[in-house]
Amino acid sequence: MPLPAKAFQLWLHGVAPTASTADICRISGIKRTTLAQQLVRGKVAETTLVSISRALKRSPLEDLAWFESYSELSGAKAPTPAELVSQIATMDLLRAVISRSSPAYGGYGDAGSALTPELSPAPHATSVRNWVDAIDDGELRHRVSAATGVAPQNYSAQLTANRLSPELAVATARAAGVGFTGGLVATGLLTEREAGWAPDARQLALDALSDGDLTALAGERLQSLGKTLRRQEHEHEQTKKIWENLG
Amino acid sequence: MIAVLQWTTLAVCAIVAIARIPSALRGENRSIFGVFVLSTVAVLLSIDVSYQTIDGWLGSHNYANLLLRFVVYGAVLLAGYRIAKAFDACRSIQLITGPVGKAVLAVIGIATVVLFLLADTAGSATGLSGLALRSPDNAALITWYSAAGRLYPAFVAACILPATYLAIGRRLPRAVRAGALLLTVAFAAMASGFFYPLIPTQANYLRAVINYTAIMCLALGLALVWISSLMAKRRNVRRP
Repeated sequence: MPLPAKAFQLWLHGVAPTASTADICRISGIKRTTLAQQLVRGKVAETTLVSISRALKRSPLEDLAWFESYSELSGAKAPTPAELVSQIATMDLLRAVISRSSPAYGGYGDAGSALTPELSPAPHATSVRNWVDAIDDGELRHRVSAATGVAPQNYSAQLTANRLSPELAVATARAAGVGFTGGLVATGLLTEREAGWAPDARQLALDALSDGDLTALAGERLQSLGKTLRRQEHEHEQTKKIWENLG
Repeated sequence: MIAVLQWTTLAVCAIVAIARIPSALRGENRSIFGVFVLSTVAVLLSIDVSYQTIDGWLGSHNYANLLLRFVVYGAVLLAGYRIAKAFDACRSIQLITGPVGKAVLAVIGIATVVLFLLADTAGSATGLSGLALRSPDNAALITWYSAAGRLYPAFVAACILPATYLAIGRRLPRAVRAGALLLTVAFAAMASGFFYPLIPTQANYLRAVINYTAIMCLALGLALVWISSLMAKRRNVRRP
């Protein structure tokens, strides 16, 4: 559930007692109409809070934790290695595979990891699904659906669209028994730094993967990327055919 | 009420037909342009004022009504074939243009002409209203003639209905899916022509509502898909 407007205004008054709504909107880049609408409806989006918190140079994680529905965020557990690896883009994983290969194939051999170019920042194009897959024990989706009342197919649709509401991300983490920051980073609400992750956390998790695990993981990612691309191409073909015949 | 529906449908069909003239001159999908022209003519032939005028030119023997039947067959065949092709419905295409479809069209076409010639059709009457009262024989002939006229559109509509219905739920651009929804409504209305005899005589206006809803939804659905394709083209031109 988004943040209650009353609590939000209380928080805002606490952190920026002298700033007017116009000031807040100007520094955070939020449209005045958007904020006004959210306040009137009584529900303020988490992204709004994060933008304002960033603009005020505060910690978005701590500010989120100030609200009752996100109180579990304070003292959040660190992400597991699997979660960290899930936030590495597929192309970066493939690059790591090549880097570790023998020089004959353009790699650096055993020293590969140290010489790999820096990872692109999270989130990536399939962050959300990869994160859920990384913490799923096989029953996770059912537990989330039972706990939140969100139908499994709606949940899956969100994952496919690489989207997940912050509320669902937290519920998913709770159901999986992992730290709460993984989902918030995967959905792009917080950056890794804002979530309190060490700058090289993902790289270290990647380095810790054995060649076999890395290759198998890259293979899985490549396969699902292939499926997605094929489906998109198929849909594109269908649309083209419709337009060619009726356009 | 019916008059409003008639004139609105006429306006929609005519406007889209006119809007498509430039692309038809360029040779793009002339058959869809043909669908809109035929639909416009069909609506003209079902509105009282224009029907009386046109039938007057044709000798006041209600040949305009016979013409209307074949205009409708042509429009439905063209639209059905194109739409089935667009939505990749091989079985629908096969049904419509294969031996079954040809046989159905031939039988219905001949039946339409024969029943019309056998009936007493002197004196312009829009929708042949009143002609059935002249004699029991005439009543039977006119009833069968009207049934034949509904049968072919209903047949084609039933062939394509599954294809457009499935397209609503597919992952396609939103405008295309909305167009598929409109086409599904149109074909469902046309297919319901099978069941017209079940409509009580007091509720005759229902038939007109269903007929014009079908034409209107067909025109709007095709127009929507067309507009979405134009917008996609424009986006593609702007991008590179």
